[in-house]
Amino acid sequence: MASLNVDIFNTGHLPTWCPGCGDFGIWMALKNALSKLNIGPDDGVLVYGIGCHGNMNNTMNMYGCTGLHGRTIPVAQGIKLANHRLPVICIAGDGDCLGEGGNHLIHAAKRNPDITVIIHDNQVYGLTTGQASPTAPKGFITKSTPEGVTDEPINPLALSIVAGASFAARAFAGDIAGLTDLLALAIQHKGFSVVDVLQPCVTFNKEYTYPWYRERLYQVSKEGYVPDDRLKALSKSMEWGDRIPVGILYQVAKPTSEDIEPAIAQKPLVDQPAEPGDITDLLGEFI
Amino acid sequence: MLDSVTCKIGGEAGFGIMASGSMVAKTFLRAGYHVFTMNEYPSLIRGGHNVVTVRVSALPFESLDKHVHVLIALSKETVQLHNDELDEGAVIMFDPKDGELSKKDFSKSSNIIQIPFIELVTKHKGNPVMRNTVALGALIALAGTDFSYLSGVISEQFKSKKQEVIDHNITIAKAGYDYVRKHFGQITSVKLPPVKPAEKQALVNASEAVGIGALQAGMKFAAIYPMTPINALITFLIQYKKKYAVVYKQPEDEIAGINMAIGASIAGVRSMVATSGGGFALMEEGLSFAGIAEVPLVIDLGMRVGPASGMPTWSEQGELRFAIHAGHGEFLRIVLAPGDALEAYRLTLLAFDLADRYQTPVFVLTDKYMNESQFCVPVSKFEKTVSIDRGKLLTQKDLEGVRDYKRYALDAVDGISDRGLPGMKNGCFMTNSYEHDEHGFSIEESGARVAMVEKRAKKLRAVEADIMPPTVYGDPKADIALVGWGSTKGPILEAVRLLTARGRPVRYLHFPWVYPFPAEAAKKLLEGVGRIIYIENNSTAQFASLMYEHTGIKAHDTILKYDGRPFYPEEIVEKLISLVINN
Repeated sequence: MASLNVDIFNTGHLPTWCPGCGDFGIWMALKNALSKLNIGPDDGVLVYGIGCHGNMNNTMNMYGCTGLHGRTIPVAQGIKLANHRLPVICIAGDGDCLGEGGNHLIHAAKRNPDITVIIHDNQVYGLTTGQASPTAPKGFITKSTPEGVTDEPINPLALSIVAGASFAARAFAGDIAGLTDLLALAIQHKGFSVVDVLQPCVTFNKEYTYPWYRERLYQVSKEGYVPDDRLKALSKSMEWGDRIPVGILYQVAKPTSEDIEPAIAQKPLVDQPAEPGDITDLLGEFI
Repeated sequence: MLDSVTCKIGGEAGFGIMASGSMVAKTFLRAGYHVFTMNEYPSLIRGGHNVVTVRVSALPFESLDKHVHVLIALSKETVQLHNDELDEGAVIMFDPKDGELSKKDFSKSSNIIQIPFIELVTKHKGNPVMRNTVALGALIALAGTDFSYLSGVISEQFKSKKQEVIDHNITIAKAGYDYVRKHFGQITSVKLPPVKPAEKQALVNASEAVGIGALQAGMKFAAIYPMTPINALITFLIQYKKKYAVVYKQPEDEIAGINMAIGASIAGVRSMVATSGGGFALMEEGLSFAGIAEVPLVIDLGMRVGPASGMPTWSEQGELRFAIHAGHGEFLRIVLAPGDALEAYRLTLLAFDLADRYQTPVFVLTDKYMNESQFCVPVSKFEKTVSIDRGKLLTQKDLEGVRDYKRYALDAVDGISDRGLPGMKNGCFMTNSYEHDEHGFSIEESGARVAMVEKRAKKLRAVEADIMPPTVYGDPKADIALVGWGSTKGPILEAVRLLTARGRPVRYLHFPWVYPFPAEAAKKLLEGVGRIIYIENNSTAQFASLMYEHTGIKAHDTILKYDGRPFYPEEIVEKLISLVINN
């Protein structure tokens, strides 16, 4: 299968991110992965949240929806249930889908819709100039936490695995080749796939820098890790410190929320006749 | 013998009171009568007091009336709570095992008939919870209606159960029926006049009527978080989702619900949400998103008593202004306010067309009273076939050969641009909650913003062609005009009838379309009126202020009720008479 030329996704708009932002890497890797999977501009939907990540919207020539802060996942589920032939990918942020929309991540994981959530995880709210996000580590000094973050950070992958996600992976925005492969696998996975992308914010996060990550990240597959055990995956997702695992931490095959809907067993909802339903029999039940 | 009999069945919550009401209504409906039921219950499952009121009449009518002719008291509390509603000479069915009861317990003359509910149940090896079934039989006997109608309804009610369960219930109902025939056969005060079988009628609440309208409109996706008073719609959709190929999702909260529905609508299917005030408060940001992104969406907003948790199982018209002003920023929305189940059905059908035609959110503003009251609607009033207008929705064929498709093209005279769907070839665009250009890309430039605001504003002018005028009842030339909207329709119509019978004709304007406000029609229909009286189930006369805002017409008087209960026709009449006499 010939892959698409990534230029097909160009819109003429240029990115507005700070030079060196991890979002560039994610943007490139996403285009590469779509190209590799032969998913063109008309073939799928990208659902963007609100935050620096969401500003990718103007730079992708592909069906898109820029929704509300934190609400990418419910919009994506609606789109998927209405037309399950379309690949649906959420471009979400850590504040976006772990703070404002945390509830949706948990409940989508438990339903297992066939959508992919790419979490741009930079531990800060970049667009509002650097307040702590839900993944900010304890003690982390930000504009909103001058004396250091006092709360525990949320672990997006542990949370997803516990809630029922059928695919959980971690990747690094500084490794475009590795991220490309991982995003392609996530998009191909049939079910709810969460990719936590460690993304340096060069402006507001002086702690988790490119070199900081490069010294610590290791690819789990290279150490013989097999991502088929939920408890081991949970334990792996919690590894953090001198060594930080990247790659697929968990993957399991199970029915998706689309698989269990009788209405769409034959064809997508959107392809079903819009003709009015005949209500004669139905009225009979109220007589 | 009365033309119309009102019966109240009351007892402890959890004793099947609500189900009894429906079964009574269906029994009389099938016997050819017109019926109406209303539930009143607290927000709990066991331990409180539930009551259902059923009005049965040989002639068509529009709402309950105040006077209760039969009280089936399955607890002594029922008598204490509803004593003052009893009509002169009302029949009270009571089990002496539930306590002492004598004529002095009643403020008016009453006819207490002692029926050993528990004993009859026990005798037929039933559970005490089946007392209500004895009561059903007893009531049917008192009304002089054939038992076969009730046994038919019981068979259906328990059709998923074994035959012996059905037979057992029929036996217990028959015990009540026979007991009354044997011991109280002489009572004729609440016997119903015989009727010829009427035209086939359906017994539906407004939630079910909304559901029927939605299915007929080709609604394909609903995401509804449970909340009183729209739960009956969820039950309805679950029951029919397979047959009508509908996806119903129970979301984690109302925020998810509206965003899912928006997603499904973007992808091209007719979609809806339903909720009450508290849930809708959570949906507001989503409403605003649908507004700027021009996404069709139908919202069934079932009002109940607020603010906040208020009185969750009681009725109010407190959210008219809320629906009109909800959501930050300025955008077009349409608010329809059905007055009864039939209007709820018709306006739901219309709501889906309007949402598609104007690419914007449309409200069907219902309330607890209509959502949980059962109306009888002649089957012929439901449309056999409907034509669906999906507005400027493009097909793949329309996009063939199109270069540079603009989802939000500015050149449409009516502000409504051609709408493609994700997945169509040549149709790439973005649905955007940010202000956007013609392709949907985010923008912040002054000129582009102004152009897009003005494009959406054109829709507000275009919708004027579709605005429904108020319906006029009573005497269109009368000096006194009553004005109402939503579910006050039934009680006001009954009040108009009572007033006309007393030689005091009034004109009555009912507004099923409340926003954008039908100002021109309202002005015309109120021409020459001497006195305007607004009747609303809220404390601030929200509709009266809306009328003033859009027409300059001031309210002369208001009749407002905000205790969570609907109006009774008699109280409207009393208040009107005192207003007119006092001034």
